[in-house]
Amino acid sequence: MVEQLDRVAAPTRRDLAKAQRRRGGSHVVAHLVLGAGALVMAFPFLWQVVMSLSTNAEVQSVTPSFWPAHPQWGNYAAVFERLPFLEQFRTSVVITVVRVLAQILFCTAAGYAFARMRFRGRPVLLAAVLSILMVPSQVYLLSQYQIVADLGLLDSLGGLVLPGLFSAFGTFLMRTAFLGMPDELEEAARLDGANPFQVFWRVMLPLARPTISVLAITSTLWSWNELLWPLVVSTYAERMPLSAGLATLISDRTTDYPVVMAASLLATAPVLVLFVVLQRRVIDGLASSGLK
Amino acid sequence: MSEALPARGAGREPARGRRVRRDGAWPWLFVAPLTLGVAVFYLWPIAQTAWYSLTTFGVFGGTTFTGLGNYAEILGDPTLYRSLVNTLLYTAIVLLNIPIAVCLASLLNLPGLRFAAFYRVLYFLPYVAMPTAVAMVWRIIFNGDFGVLNWALGLVGIEGPYWISTPWASIVAVAVVGLWSSLGFSLIVLSAGLKNVPPELYEAAQLDGASRSRQFRSITVPLLAPSTSFLAVVTVIAGFQLFDLLYAVLGTTNPALPKSLSLVYYFYRAGFVDNDKGVAAATAMVILVLVGLATAVQFRLQRRWVRG
Amino acid sequence: MTSTTAHPLTTTRRTTLAGAATLGVLVTTAACGGGSGDGPAADTAYEAPSSDLEARITYGLWDQAQVAGLQRNIDAFTAKFPGVEVAVNVTPFSEYWTKLQTQASSDTLPDLFWMNGPNFQLYAANGKIAPITGAVEAGDIDPANYPSALVDLYSLDGVTYGVPKDFDTIGVWVNTDLFARAGVGLPTAEWTWDEFQDTAVRISQALSAQGVFGAAGGMDGQTTYYNTIFEAGGEVVADGKSGYASTDAVAGLQFWTDLIASGGSPSIQQLTDTTADQWFTSGKLAMYWGGSWFRAALTDTDLAGKVQVLPLPRGAQQVTVIHGVSNVVSASTKNRQAAQALQVFLAGQEAQQQLGSAGTVIPAFNGTQGTFASSMPGTDLQLFLDAVDYSKPLPVSENTAAWNALETDLLPDAFSGARPVGEVAGDLAQQMDEALADE
Repeated sequence: MVEQLDRVAAPTRRDLAKAQRRRGGSHVVAHLVLGAGALVMAFPFLWQVVMSLSTNAEVQSVTPSFWPAHPQWGNYAAVFERLPFLEQFRTSVVITVVRVLAQILFCTAAGYAFARMRFRGRPVLLAAVLSILMVPSQVYLLSQYQIVADLGLLDSLGGLVLPGLFSAFGTFLMRTAFLGMPDELEEAARLDGANPFQVFWRVMLPLARPTISVLAITSTLWSWNELLWPLVVSTYAERMPLSAGLATLISDRTTDYPVVMAASLLATAPVLVLFVVLQRRVIDGLASSGLK
Repeated sequence: MSEALPARGAGREPARGRRVRRDGAWPWLFVAPLTLGVAVFYLWPIAQTAWYSLTTFGVFGGTTFTGLGNYAEILGDPTLYRSLVNTLLYTAIVLLNIPIAVCLASLLNLPGLRFAAFYRVLYFLPYVAMPTAVAMVWRIIFNGDFGVLNWALGLVGIEGPYWISTPWASIVAVAVVGLWSSLGFSLIVLSAGLKNVPPELYEAAQLDGASRSRQFRSITVPLLAPSTSFLAVVTVIAGFQLFDLLYAVLGTTNPALPKSLSLVYYFYRAGFVDNDKGVAAATAMVILVLVGLATAVQFRLQRRWVRG
Repeated sequence: MTSTTAHPLTTTRRTTLAGAATLGVLVTTAACGGGSGDGPAADTAYEAPSSDLEARITYGLWDQAQVAGLQRNIDAFTAKFPGVEVAVNVTPFSEYWTKLQTQASSDTLPDLFWMNGPNFQLYAANGKIAPITGAVEAGDIDPANYPSALVDLYSLDGVTYGVPKDFDTIGVWVNTDLFARAGVGLPTAEWTWDEFQDTAVRISQALSAQGVFGAAGGMDGQTTYYNTIFEAGGEVVADGKSGYASTDAVAGLQFWTDLIASGGSPSIQQLTDTTADQWFTSGKLAMYWGGSWFRAALTDTDLAGKVQVLPLPRGAQQVTVIHGVSNVVSASTKNRQAAQALQVFLAGQEAQQQLGSAGTVIPAFNGTQGTFASSMPGTDLQLFLDAVDYSKPLPVSENTAAWNALETDLLPDAFSGARPVGEVAGDLAQQMDEALADE
């Protein structure tokens, strides 16, 4: 690599500039493809925005209008009237932060061990951990509920957070990341007398930053949108997370859909902002991290 | 469980035995927090389910041992196989998100591409959107009489079907939504993976005169192999869990429903509609075995593909 | 004991399944601890509360839209019993029953909660809810104050468990504007099946260019085919047997097949993509068979001024399906006295009157429904109240959902004309009987 760079450096700057120009030209195609794709991807979401500003009759109408006759900004105000939005928002934030931190801690540690340490029963244990992704999630509901009830944690933050602290998916994700890393750094650190924890903490963990950010994003989203568990273990509206609160707006016979849409957009917004910030800092900023 | 493990580890060759000793108790310290939580909150319920699958289970508890009767019942039911085929069809279509995401990710990763961050946010939107809202919007798009999709198809002279109430079409429609909503996740994983590819590789290749598509084939695709095979495994596992989306998009009184069930929907019907928890537990075990096999096969293939 | 598992999975050698094999070990331990018996036998204990009663109770329900009205009930209740604290727990309908089943399995049900017809017998038969017998004997609840069909709905083997809170009946919602445009006169309240079919076809034909239909069927039994089966003199379920095989039931189903075949209604597929109520609110349906609850969907819309309601057209007899939610007390509650006190209070005239004036539902207590009847200016909703006299309860059994799923699976072929109605009904009756036998 270094040789190649050296070769590139001085004498061929002209070539490089030419290559850059060529690249710039073909960006048109890239923009066409990406733009068309983005439109398809964003369309349902944009429509959700439109519906959140419509009347219920307009949403229920079979000939959809692409823009409401009179934008109903009141639908957004209605969300705050019908839900203890801020309390639920706070609960969501607390639950999500706790879970993301726990998952990063537990999953990176376990993922590292599964990828780069040898111990008896490793394949069995890994298979057991992975197997929990392979059964319908409803299988866990009753048992988990009974455990949490026995611990006296119903209606508590602990009960809301608990089973979600442990993620098989996250472990698998981190294991994959650690599997792909070069052996040399690890070996060098070991020869310097670092113990396995120090190797993990000082050498490998920084290398895994891009994947840890992926884990952070996915666990945030999962926790933020989780529905059934918080609905089942919580009683008081003020102590529910937002995802559960939103769901209570949907009724069996008469639902005010625009308010549901507005509420779901309000709930989605913070995650979207988080993503924008994260992708600036993490995905775009990766090149300068300890990766190379 | 601790009793079962030594038996499996007993036959190891000495060379590996040395490495076991070198890491000592460390691996256990690393995996213990996760494993304990997983054992209590996930493996224990699975174990209970395995037991329930051999019993007749009252709606609110109370079990009677009935042996393999539940398994005989579901394995003799044609609907189970139809559900399996539907699930496989869904999974196959959603898997297409990986090649699409590889192409998009490599485009997004073009050096000097403007608006890349903006595109990324747009592609990420479906992944953050609330599932209930998403299902509602797609139902409207797929509407046979008034939907945007059939209106657009009509412009090019195609008469679209009633997407969500025609067997097969319903699975395709739901799979499109599945593909749409998983693309964002694949893109993030691949973007993280692409960061592992040094840009100098491309620059060198370019100076060597390699075409864009040649670079894509000989640099991007191989170097993304770990990420793509991870995505493949995850997509298959998730594909087999198809339920929420199907339930939300198709609704509960859809005439196409009996022919559009997925495996987990079959499980759900047994457990939460027919209130036959024993049969549901047996179905869950069958699903576990099927996904376990599929994953094992993938691991085998992957070892070849990632190394080769 | 760990070595004796004969789990089928242990025979495979795949590493990924080895994890499952170790689970086999756990299975046997589960076998030892598993299994609790049914709940306690029906306990009719009741003690009239004194005003110094102290408790914290939970009230579980599924409709956010009714919380404001119910909160007024609860405020009035706590004014009478200052020591009782009531927490309202709303769970959306689609998750309500999953949650309730989970809670019932671990005896942590809310102290008082909403029950509907299709699920009632399951909870009553398994001893999960307490009878109201004690309160009735003490004279605190009088079943005669509520529509008798609803009291029947919440009784099992002669014991009543639930006090009706509200009710709904079915009528035909009419878009008068479309009638005028089609040049078809409005039918009278004494109309017949033939008149209905004829009106539907004439409107469909007159306004076909605008994509308008005269009427609509659909897969919702409560608003459509249950009514016509009853009107034809048939039954859906009676004495633990399916009623679908009878010629009367077939006639009730044929009604909808004919309606679709004649072009009077959109097809079942069209009605899946766009439900009947959506056709109506979009101004593309002249006659919609809908419940009294539909009023809420029309308030503040352009349609509101153009809507009339008619009773269901008569078949061999006139019938409408009645359904309503009831309040039931958990059999395992630790606050039984307080839960029953709230149950009794909510069933009383004062609370019911208050609920009615909140306007969301029709209260069940006879004579408290005046607000509903006049809640839609220009539209006479009284017929939904009059319909109580000729109403029959929503058909249910202990495991209603199981055969509801069979109806959804089989009936589309009958309605679409893919198979003869009698043949489908015969299959349905047979499969439904098997499901009923499993109860």
